[in-house]
Amino acid sequence: MSATGARQARLVGAALRCYPGRWRRRHADEAAELAALLIRDGTPASSIAWNYLVGAAREWLTPRPGRPLSTAAAALLAMTCLLGFSAALVAETVPAKAASTTQPASSPKPARPSTGVTSRRQFTPCRPVTPRLATGASAAAGLLVVQGTTSARSC
Amino acid sequence: MGTPERDVLRRVGEASVLVLVSLAAGPKHGYALIQDVKQFAGVELGPGTLYGALDRLERLGLIESMPADDRRHPYRITAPGAAALRAHLDSLERVSAAGRLRLQLGGI
Repeated sequence: MSATGARQARLVGAALRCYPGRWRRRHADEAAELAALLIRDGTPASSIAWNYLVGAAREWLTPRPGRPLSTAAAALLAMTCLLGFSAALVAETVPAKAASTTQPASSPKPARPSTGVTSRRQFTPCRPVTPRLATGASAAAGLLVVQGTTSARSC
Repeated sequence: MGTPERDVLRRVGEASVLVLVSLAAGPKHGYALIQDVKQFAGVELGPGTLYGALDRLERLGLIESMPADDRRHPYRITAPGAAALRAHLDSLERVSAAGRLRLQLGGI
């Protein structure tokens, strides 16, 4: 088998390992062979692997007689946490500066006095909270995080 | 016309109906099913979608797997599966006829 073929087989194999054991015992060999045939026909391995991954998620979330609903609920919770974590990772890549654009229009800007001498403390502008802290905490709670949460300011 | 049979296929999804239509012509394994559905419906079933549909139909007793041929399991439609498919197609036909008639009456 060529290096590309081996890599494709590994990719599909990884997706198949996401299925529950009961399913794997029954279908894994056949599914791997089917994937090999489809790849031979020109279907991209990544598309096949993705389709198996979606199928695996569906399989875990389908309540079965031997698998109580709580297992499905736990799987759903784990997926939600994973989504929250992914969203947090994506949010972290957005520069902190972008967060300040979500500030409501009605919020007053710190006014700079035109004349006179006042204490230095009054001119200190509000600083945006770093996205890392805000999104990280939310992701831990398994929540989907929107960038708007980072618009909180510490004054 | 008698009372229409309960349409158990109404909620199983399009992929399951396509698989059942394909198996109505005779037993097939996964790869043959994908090729056949592509040929008669123009739909490319993904392998994950296919196995989901096969599991669902088997759980409902509408298809059954036959002894493995090498590593491949051929599947065949059962008698309840054939009855369910007939009922579903009848239902689709009624909807289709009503839709065509209304389009005609509406002059669209």
